[in-house]
Amino acid sequence: MHATVYAFASAWLTVLLGVTVVAVIRARSAPTRILALDMLVLVFIALLVLLSLRQNAPYLMDAALVLALLSFVATLAAARYHAVGRLFS
Amino acid sequence: MWLADALVVVAVLVITVSVYGLFRMPDVYTQLHAASKGVFLGEIGIICAAPLVADEAAITSRGVLIAVFLILTTPVSAHVVARAARMSREPMRTPGAIDESVGTGSADGALDGRLEGLLPGESRDPRGAGRES
Repeated sequence: MHATVYAFASAWLTVLLGVTVVAVIRARSAPTRILALDMLVLVFIALLVLLSLRQNAPYLMDAALVLALLSFVATLAAARYHAVGRLFS
Repeated sequence: MWLADALVVVAVLVITVSVYGLFRMPDVYTQLHAASKGVFLGEIGIICAAPLVADEAAITSRGVLIAVFLILTTPVSAHVVARAARMSREPMRTPGAIDESVGTGSADGALDGRLEGLLPGESRDPRGAGRES
């Protein structure tokens, strides 16, 4: 892959990361904030995959996998807490 | 390889459109389209560029793992967020939105489309609090 495509895509994904942080802060209700946090972690996973392809390092993909797992569980927990008021019934 | 270039560029474009959709959509229920479908598509695009570029097989195998996990869990988290928003009576601000999940309230359908109807699982008990404006 060309180095310019790597550089441009990584820089633009970092900008999108900042934009999603603004979306998390600006969210007007709790489900929107939960959704924006999930999207934040997904954008970060995309950035990590791109970086691991550039540096040829598999450990960044490990970090991306762990983040995907954590974001899924956190979205479930936050949504359940917002809906029901407790996590374990 | 130009195919990997094109995949990454298109995937980043799709993620951009999804993040923009998160800002522009008026409602949690429509923002779910952007957050779950759009970002997931961009992710899969970037992960599909991995076998074309990577020198090690470890990167490709982990990419496949991430893709499989995202395929399995993205609809589940979207559904859970939508259900949590609905159960906490998040209003539908999209113009022309019809709430079809209001169920067993009244027989003549007078409560359809309004948020004061019964949610699935509730019962019509005379409670003092609960009707929000």
